[in-house]
Amino acid sequence: MSKPQKSTVKVKRFSKAFVWAHAVNAISFIALYITALPMYTEFFDWLYPVLGGPEGARLLHRIFAVAFITPTFIWVIFDFKGFKLWMKELVTWKKRDLEFFTEFVKELFGFNFKHVKQTFFNAGEKINSIIQIFTAILIIGSGFPMWFPEFFPRAVVQWGYLLHNVGFGLAIAVVVGHVYLSVIHKNSKPGYTGVITGEVPAWWAHEHYTEWYEEEVKKGNFPKLEDPHKPTSPDKKKKKGA
Amino acid sequence: MATEYVKFVDVTKCDGCRACMVACKNWNDLPAEPQDFLGSAQSHTKTTADTWNVLQYIEHENSKGGLDYLFRHSACFHCTDAACEKVCPEDAISYTDFGTVVIDHEKCVGCGYCVNNCPFEVISLKEYVDKNGDKYRKANKCTMCTDRLEEGLQPACVTTCHTGAMQFGDKTAMIQKAEERVKQIKDRYPNAMVYNPQGVGGTHTVYVLAEKPSVYGLPENPKVPTSAVVWKDYAQPIGKMMIGATTMAVVGAFITNTIISKKKNGKNEDGGEHHE
Repeated sequence: MSKPQKSTVKVKRFSKAFVWAHAVNAISFIALYITALPMYTEFFDWLYPVLGGPEGARLLHRIFAVAFITPTFIWVIFDFKGFKLWMKELVTWKKRDLEFFTEFVKELFGFNFKHVKQTFFNAGEKINSIIQIFTAILIIGSGFPMWFPEFFPRAVVQWGYLLHNVGFGLAIAVVVGHVYLSVIHKNSKPGYTGVITGEVPAWWAHEHYTEWYEEEVKKGNFPKLEDPHKPTSPDKKKKKGA
Repeated sequence: MATEYVKFVDVTKCDGCRACMVACKNWNDLPAEPQDFLGSAQSHTKTTADTWNVLQYIEHENSKGGLDYLFRHSACFHCTDAACEKVCPEDAISYTDFGTVVIDHEKCVGCGYCVNNCPFEVISLKEYVDKNGDKYRKANKCTMCTDRLEEGLQPACVTTCHTGAMQFGDKTAMIQKAEERVKQIKDRYPNAMVYNPQGVGGTHTVYVLAEKPSVYGLPENPKVPTSAVVWKDYAQPIGKMMIGATTMAVVGAFITNTIISKKKNGKNEDGGEHHE
C-alpha cells in the first residue's frame, strides 16, 4: 500500500455554465423543498411564520419554481457540448458500470475497494442524473397544473398533486445521498469543490474518471500522471469537454 | 359518538322559493354576490365561497316528451369518505360527531387541494385582506350549520324550508324516508332514485332525485379520486420512508467510515487513493 505522492495540479472538469446550472438547480431545489415542507409534514409547521405565512411560502415556492426550470437552459445555451456529452454518457452503459456499483457499496461504507475505470461521469453519477431528470420532469410537469388549475382539466390537476409528490419524494431521497457523497464522504470531497470552482485535483480526476482523464491526456489537455514528479503541463487548463 | 344525522332533500317537494339560500346567507353572515342574468331563474352557476347553497333550476325534457321544471337545493354533501379531508395537508378539514365535514380556518392555508379534489365541486377559496393589507385565502363551504347542531338546532336551510322538501334527523330514519318517497313518486318520475353515493361511503345530505344524477349535473358514481388515494395512502408515506432510508444509509456510511479510518490509525484517510 504505497502512497503515491499527490501533486497539487488541478484540471478543469466543469464549464462555468455547468457550475451555474448545477448551483441554480441545487439552491432552487433545496429552497423549493423547504418552502413546501410545512405542507408535507405538520412537524415543520413552524416554518410558516419563518417564511412569511402560507402566502409567503407560496410566493417563494413559485419564485424558486421558475428558477428550478432554468438550469437545463443555462447548460444547453452556454455549454451545449458539455450537455451533449452528458446525454451521451447517460445512454452508454457497459459492464464496467455494473462493476462500479459493487465497488461503490464497499467505498460508501469505508471498506477497501478498487476503482473501476469510469468515463466523464461514473455509473453512480449517471444513475443520479437519470433519476434527477426523471423527477424534474415529474415535478415541473405537474407543477403547472397545480399553479394554474383553471387552465387544466380537473383530472390533470388531481394527478398532478400525486406526480408532484412522487417526483420530489424520489428526488430528495436521492439528493440526500448525492450531497452526502460530495460534501461529507472523504473520497469524493474534491468533487464538491470541483462543482463550485470547476476544477479538481489532477490525481483525483485520474483515479475517479480514469478513461476520461486518459483521453484528455491523449488530446494534450491534461498532464500525464504516471510520473508524479513531473506533473505540470503548460496547457493543463486549456479546455475540456464539459 | 353523537347520533349521525342526515339532511334529507326531497327535490320533488321543492318549489324553488330559495328561502334556503337566504337562510344560509343570514345565519352564516355571508355577503350577497350579485350576478348577471344567467338565462334562467337560477341565481348562481354553482356554490361559491360566499354562497354555500345554490338552488338549481333545470328545464328537462322527460321520457314522455313533456317539460319538467326541476329544482335542487345544492350544497356540500358531507361525505362519509370525504376527498377534501383526505387531501388536506394541514388537517384543517375534519369530521364532526354529527357526520358533518368542517374546515378549521385557523389551520387552513388556502392551498386549494380540497377545491380541486371535491367530487362535487362545492368548495371554493375566498380571498381575505388582513389589517396590514396582505391578502390570504381560506377554503369555504357549507358546514351543515354545525354550530347550530351543537346547540341542538337544525340547519338553517332545513328550518326555513316551507314545503317540507328538507328534513333533518337520524341517518337511518332519513334514508328510510327517502326510499319510501321514491316508491311513491315512481309513477310520475320513473327515473326517481335515492342519491346517497357509496363511492364516497354514503353522504350526509341524501337526495331523492326526480331524474338521473347527470340531469342535475351530478356525477353518477362519485368517489374519492384514485390519484388522491395513491397520493395520500401510498406516495406520501413511501416518500417519507425513502428519505428516512437514504438518511440512515448515509449516517451508517459516515459511522462505518469513521470506525474504519480509526482502525487504520488515521493514515491515508483523505483522498481515497489508499484502497487495495
